[in-house]
Amino acid sequence: MTKDVLTESANHLSQACCETIEEYKNKSSLLVSKMNASMLKKSNLINIVGSDNIEMMKDNHANHVQFISSILKYKNTAVLIETIIWVFRTYRSHGFSIEYWSVQLNEWINILKEELSQNIFDEIIPYYKWMLLNIPSFVLLSEQNT
Amino acid sequence: MNQETEKQALLRALLKGSRENASQVIKQFIDQDHTIIDLYEYLIKETMYEIGYLWETGKISVATEHLASAIVENLMNEIYHLIATPEKKEDLAVICSIENEQHQIGSKMVSDVYEMNNWNTRYLGANTPKNDLIHFVKSINPKMLALSMSLFFHLPELESTLQTIKKELPGLLIIIGGQGLKHGSQDFLKNYQNVFYKPDLFSLDSFLKTQNQHD
Ligand code: B12
Repeated sequence: MTKDVLTESANHLSQACCETIEEYKNKSSLLVSKMNASMLKKSNLINIVGSDNIEMMKDNHANHVQFISSILKYKNTAVLIETIIWVFRTYRSHGFSIEYWSVQLNEWINILKEELSQNIFDEIIPYYKWMLLNIPSFVLLSEQNT
Repeated sequence: MNQETEKQALLRALLKGSRENASQVIKQFIDQDHTIIDLYEYLIKETMYEIGYLWETGKISVATEHLASAIVENLMNEIYHLIATPEKKEDLAVICSIENEQHQIGSKMVSDVYEMNNWNTRYLGANTPKNDLIHFVKSINPKMLALSMSLFFHLPELESTLQTIKKELPGLLIIIGGQGLKHGSQDFLKNYQNVFYKPDLFSLDSFLKTQNQHD
């Protein structure tokens, strides 16, 4: 799949409203700490993120919520796609497995469901589903030009 | 401009951690009659982007990246005598990277471009807390403020700074730049008067030169 196809599907994601952005942002620290805790509980974590990478994983989770907050507010398809390709390339080259993306995104979805109000969750979830669905394309794109 | 040989030489020196070799490369580049802006844009910036790519692809460590940044900042200090101009105007500019933004080499270059255009500058470096910045700007009343943002996810901080300035210092001319504003991320600026996006040092330099003509 080319970037154009990703762009076309990402263009259908809608810009979030103020209330959604506010709630996601206000709960960011909580979301990150729940995310880290639940990843740390996984007995196969080392297989998922690689050895010596726990801190880098935590950085990624902290950056993730800041990034998503900004994307929700300043919707920008090119930045969304380029940044995901960058994240995939960077974390893969530092020893994270491909499996990390689906594990991570599914975990975010569970935590968002638990922590966000239903209407806010409904507004954000298309972004996560879109990322989850497009993992194979992002893997391919991130392996090009290296 | 093709500066591939010099770029490779600077990259080698930075990766080796040799300030001496890096300094030599810079000196030779300047001796070939290149401008400081050429040096910044074509040699240092390109080489630092390459350093970033090497980190991204797992080929160098964070420590090596830090070493390269430290050497580059030192090199920029070394050539300050080529930047400072004797005939300063009255104009004063404040330059910094916004709150939470740790990247400061770009904003340091921006500060040098102001100086080369005879401006007085106050360069505050990286991660300048919004409220402190506003207090500082109020206390010295500059003619321009230049803000740098390298990471897209700092846009909320940038916008909040612009909103506060709009309220508390209406009319202050603001120039913004940095990699975080690529791919159309600067579009929201159309909601602000007196705020201009300049993608690189060449465009900043031309802008300052047209300002000089108006004075
Ligand atoms: C050195 C470096 C660091 C150093 C910075 C040290 C220092 N003293 O500045 C440190 C270690 C702090 C750092 C930290 C991080 N970094 Co870093 N870093 C870099 C690196 C390798 C070089 C930066 C640099 O100096 N570039 C050279 C300057 C000259 O370029 P520039 O900033 O773009 O400036 C030019 C223009 O943009 C313009 N400009 C800039 N500002 C302004 C302002 C105005 C007013 C104007 C007119 C123009 C202008 O003028 C300059 C000349 O043209 C870059 C690679 C890269 N592509 O830049 C990564 C990079 C920017 N970092 C990156 C990342 C991810 C991070 C971290 C998140 C890593 C982490 N996991 O912790 C943190 C974030 C910290 C934070 N909160 O800000 C990524 C960003 C990726 C992305 N998609 O967003 C990059 C691109 C590396 C990569 N290839 O993966 N980093």
